[in-house]
Amino acid sequence: MDWSKQNSRALMFLAALVVVWAAVAALRIVPAIVLPTPASVVRAVPKMLQERLLADIGLTLARVLGALAIACVFGIPLGLYLGYRKGVYQVIESPLHALRSVPASALFPLFLIVIGVGEKSIIALAAYPSLLVILANTVSGATLANKRRLYQARLLGLDTFDTITEVLAYEALPNILDGIRTAVSYALMLVIAVEMFIGLSERGLGRSIYEYQSTYRIPETYGAIIIAGIIGILLNAVVSQMERRMLRWLPNVQED
Amino acid sequence: MSAPAPSAAPAVEVERVAFSYPARSDNGEGTLYEDFSLEVELGSRFVLMGPSGSGKSTLGRMLARIMTPQAGEVRWSPQFTHRWDVVYLDQHPINSVFPWLTVASNIKYPMKKLGWERSKRQDRMCYLMSLFRMGALADAYPASLSGGELQRLALARCLSWKPQLVILDEPFSALDRKVKAEIIAALGELAARDRMTLVLITHNVSDALALGTRCVVIGRRPVRIISDLEFRATFPREAATPDYDTMQQALIAGIRDGLV
Repeated sequence: MDWSKQNSRALMFLAALVVVWAAVAALRIVPAIVLPTPASVVRAVPKMLQERLLADIGLTLARVLGALAIACVFGIPLGLYLGYRKGVYQVIESPLHALRSVPASALFPLFLIVIGVGEKSIIALAAYPSLLVILANTVSGATLANKRRLYQARLLGLDTFDTITEVLAYEALPNILDGIRTAVSYALMLVIAVEMFIGLSERGLGRSIYEYQSTYRIPETYGAIIIAGIIGILLNAVVSQMERRMLRWLPNVQED
Repeated sequence: MSAPAPSAAPAVEVERVAFSYPARSDNGEGTLYEDFSLEVELGSRFVLMGPSGSGKSTLGRMLARIMTPQAGEVRWSPQFTHRWDVVYLDQHPINSVFPWLTVASNIKYPMKKLGWERSKRQDRMCYLMSLFRMGALADAYPASLSGGELQRLALARCLSWKPQLVILDEPFSALDRKVKAEIIAALGELAARDRMTLVLITHNVSDALALGTRCVVIGRRPVRIISDLEFRATFPREAATPDYDTMQQALIAGIRDGLV
């Protein structure tokens, strides 16, 4: 299935969802406090903009991107190095997988103790599972690198740094981008959850969802949730765009 | 045996090597090489033939010192002072190119790594691209090339930095007859110009005749040399070349011996 076809199907599905929603809300099958009409949600948006919606979106996005940046800056080089020195990886493989099994949200109290209450803790908590998933993907991409092609690196006398940056990084690139895609959803999920339930965050989209809900501003609550969803979709689209630009050289499986 | 002339100094000496793969149920015995010796003279165009699965690639990889024999020794000529003086071209050309680089960058990359000046890299790249008929493909990525184009790219890339010994494992399998004749001629020209020693692994008789100055047929297990022929006819060789029929018959007879 090609890309535009997939997109138009997704849009059709969303449109159908809105129609069902409108019908259910109009027929009063469920009370308006549980499900407001789509129109009331749309009407709520200008009000939200007059309040501090944009600042909240900006803050949430900044936290997500900060967490992803940390995850990439540490996860990718470390993953490539571990994929290159498989001996080291074998030693830390099991502890790493054990760490990945611990839900990140369960660790939040620990982060608060170690890092302290504040912005740093939110970003660190979101960075943590993002880093682990990017690390694991990068290592597996680097381990799966074409062995025969690595002969070229040895043949031409490439040092460790050049082998990693000029050969292994490309070999692992599809896996790295896959890892980033998963990390994006982890980071967004955790930032919003932390903003929502932990009062220490000044603001953010999660906080505004929570506040709208607790003051019974239900259309605004839905509006903020939908905006969070749109942010997720857009971040995903950015990763897809990166994949298409950075992996132009990959044989296109769909064409075969 | 007469004393070796200076021109007959070996490029590679394989001395009493042994190599076995872990025994598998589907191919019976794992022993491939046992007490096997071979010499490839410097400047020769050595053709290695044998049936599929006879261990040609394993021998090629031992010659390139990618694989280490479990016993015995593989010695390179003292002229080969760098690792990159000897190159092995994999039978799957995609293993010998970087798919993330364009055709032109693939050819230039090794020269860049070996410290060639930019202008020399550019000249050599242009020369190879025209020699191997790839002029229009400079900006293409390997994934978009046909099988034959990819083989030509892999060849051009591994010859770019003028290695002294080039071991080519089935390098023409995806080329059609006309292109193959051109590429073989180009390869011969290049080998003479850059004074390369060529080792060609193939199971195609006409490729062997078109390029070889010496042709060794191996077979059986453990592997041994079944026939060892020298071809002195001048290049380029075609069916009309004097002695072509004689060479062809000798080679075919040698291959047939291996099947008995």
